[in-house]
Amino acid sequence: MTNTIETPVLAIRDYSLDYETANGTFHALKNIDLSIGRGEILGLVGESGSGKTSLAWSIMRYLSKNARETSGDILLSGESLLKKSNAEIEAMRGRRISMVFQDPSTSLNPTLSLGHQLSEVLMRHRKLTKQQAWREGEAMLARVGLKTPAEMMKRMPHEASGGEKQRVVIASAFACSPECIIFDEPTTALDVITSRQILDLFVELQEETGVASLYISHDLALVSRTAGRVAVIKHGDIVEQGPVASIFHAPCETYTRELIAAVPDPTRRLSSPSVETGAEPLVRVENVSVHYGRKPFLASLTGRSFTRFKGNNAVSLTVNPGEILGVVGESGSGKSTLAKAMTGLNPFEGKIWFDGREIRGLKDMTTAYRKDVQIIFQHPDASLNPRHKISEILSRPLKLYGDGSNLRQQVGDMLEKVRLPRTHADRYPHQLSGGEKQRVAIARAFASKPRLVICDEITSALDVSVQASVVELLLELQKANNTAYLFITHDLNLIRQIAHRIAVMYRGDLVEIAPAEEIESADRADYTRRLIAAVPLPAGASPIASATIASEGA
Amino acid sequence: MIEFLKRLLGTPQGALGLFIVLLIVAVVVFGPVIATHDPEQMSILSRYKAPSASFWLGTDQYGRDIFSRLMIGARATVVMAVLATIAGTLIGALIGTTSAFLGGRADEFIMRTVDAVMSIPSLLFALLVVNLLGSSTVNALVAVAIAFAPGMARITRSVALSVRKQDYVNAAIARGESSAFIIRREMLPNVIAPIIVEMTIRVAFAVMLFATLSFLGLGAQPPAAEWGLMVSEARQYMHLSAYILIWPSVAIAITAIGFNLLGDGLRDALNPRT
Repeated sequence: MTNTIETPVLAIRDYSLDYETANGTFHALKNIDLSIGRGEILGLVGESGSGKTSLAWSIMRYLSKNARETSGDILLSGESLLKKSNAEIEAMRGRRISMVFQDPSTSLNPTLSLGHQLSEVLMRHRKLTKQQAWREGEAMLARVGLKTPAEMMKRMPHEASGGEKQRVVIASAFACSPECIIFDEPTTALDVITSRQILDLFVELQEETGVASLYISHDLALVSRTAGRVAVIKHGDIVEQGPVASIFHAPCETYTRELIAAVPDPTRRLSSPSVETGAEPLVRVENVSVHYGRKPFLASLTGRSFTRFKGNNAVSLTVNPGEILGVVGESGSGKSTLAKAMTGLNPFEGKIWFDGREIRGLKDMTTAYRKDVQIIFQHPDASLNPRHKISEILSRPLKLYGDGSNLRQQVGDMLEKVRLPRTHADRYPHQLSGGEKQRVAIARAFASKPRLVICDEITSALDVSVQASVVELLLELQKANNTAYLFITHDLNLIRQIAHRIAVMYRGDLVEIAPAEEIESADRADYTRRLIAAVPLPAGASPIASATIASEGA
Repeated sequence: MIEFLKRLLGTPQGALGLFIVLLIVAVVVFGPVIATHDPEQMSILSRYKAPSASFWLGTDQYGRDIFSRLMIGARATVVMAVLATIAGTLIGALIGTTSAFLGGRADEFIMRTVDAVMSIPSLLFALLVVNLLGSSTVNALVAVAIAFAPGMARITRSVALSVRKQDYVNAAIARGESSAFIIRREMLPNVIAPIIVEMTIRVAFAVMLFATLSFLGLGAQPPAAEWGLMVSEARQYMHLSAYILIWPSVAIAITAIGFNLLGDGLRDALNPRT
């Protein structure tokens, strides 16, 4: 594990980086000390804004104009990168050090074929001819596990799936056998099953080539699976670094401990074990289908056939009073479409029964129905009007659903209920942090004392620690008001902690609904089992870490 | 408001643009007071004079003081341009928002009509309107306003469409708000900023369009001190004294640049995310 005799492939010594902004100097990185040896994977973990990506860009020598390097040095195999000229850096990028980005759909050029983009790297850095580069490219695509490499070379980025694109990006990163590769959240934009496959591929290639890797991620569970050593970064400071086992099982710093405790652990239930199911469920969704797209005017004139896109395909489910029903599935599986149909944002076919009343379409969604069924959206930035003060945002439901008197007092009470100071009423959304904004959105949904709240991926835009506190708040509100939740998420670990039953969706179809405790059972549908198997288990699942969490919770 | 001003003055183009526009506003308001001579007083003896202590910017072909004429003419030129832009913006914004809100077939119909109108160059369109209505200052205003409306409609529609897709509009619909409330309180405040920016930039175009119309003899009529008209009249005497041509041209250019810069500054200042 220690290779003190050998010079590390990448060494960062006492490195500090500042950004000059209109509001003064911002210290992005403070006295960073890191080193990665040959064949080693260093995981860099931190929340958003902690300086992870800034560090990646400093290593790649691609800094914005307002960046100032105040101290330290970055060494690649003993050579200082800070002293290199632009031309030297350009020759180095891609050949000696390369990078894999978060989202393959934006890191590949949409107007060039995949083969063109891959062979360009080879032609530039290994001075191959076009034919040689193309052949080499095919071999590489075969190596990253693409089944039809020759055909894939000719495809354009939009003709390949997200996972296939990320494989091409990885192939081009490994193309010139670099000494060091930086992975900046390479699986965050991908679906659970795909990201698991990409991760396996990464580990395999890494072992084969022995490249030094810096693996940047916010996902602790993922890092604990892949990395040998981990560094935890907070506000530009490395608070702790060491081997995975010791960081996750015996963290020294409180911040690390909090971070680990905040990771959802499916074996630790957070909500009450079960709800008594009455005779009548609160909501019954019967064969609800949603279709997207309208027949184009010209198509109807020319008589061209037109197939509508299916968002939901005859989905039927029930939610009991006070129950948390989790809805999971990959992106595009129709989770949000269902939520939109239930709140009247999408026209739908089929029936929804709410508390014995029949809802056939938008016309049946009366004020009484809307008062009882509320929705919270994924991005609080988008769901709170940026031009309204918090007080106005929160007073709307009060005015709509009855009691419009003494608004200031009521808005203050609502803010306190979601543990925000009363003075936040006079602020605008952009003056609040992401977690605070989501609390305001929660307060708005609970203003009408609803009986069903639809949570559409409400924690996925938040950091782990913020996510944990928002979930805690939701469960508290659920206990206090006996509200039912339709909790839509792609985070399986989280949903197994809080849901009573879990509905699995795939490409618009409802695969199955199972009690949360039995989701791992072998009787589950094939797709469900694949989904569960793909989820990386958190490192905190081991007995020592669980003990720490338990003591924190007490 | 103070914070907004700070942001506006923080950018060089915002500060400079605001300075120039304030200067122009001062000239519009206090022009007649600042003017040193009667703008229409002719003098045979002092024709084609170069700038001097008594005639700051020289004199024109009739011996009229150019400085005074520019000061007086600011009202006709700038006020007309601003009025025409506001009128054009209002018409365009109304068409654009309606189109975005209606959606579907109606949207298609309105926007294709707008496209057809936009394919005619705005100057040609303004000429057409003036020719149909007869040449006068008011008709020139109407012509410029109508020529601007389709462009504004396009911009408003695209902004309104993106705002309509936002989750806060969805949240309002899910809450059961009325359409009027959604348009007025949720959508409009978020649409207005880009429109104001676009409007400021268009004032510069309007000034130039008015100048062109006057230059072609279709806007203001002599002896009015409108800047475009002054350029037009000076053309024939250019070889006798270049100043008659240069000063009004400079005035038009400065106004155009000032409003353009202010528009750029406003675009940055009104965007809360930068």
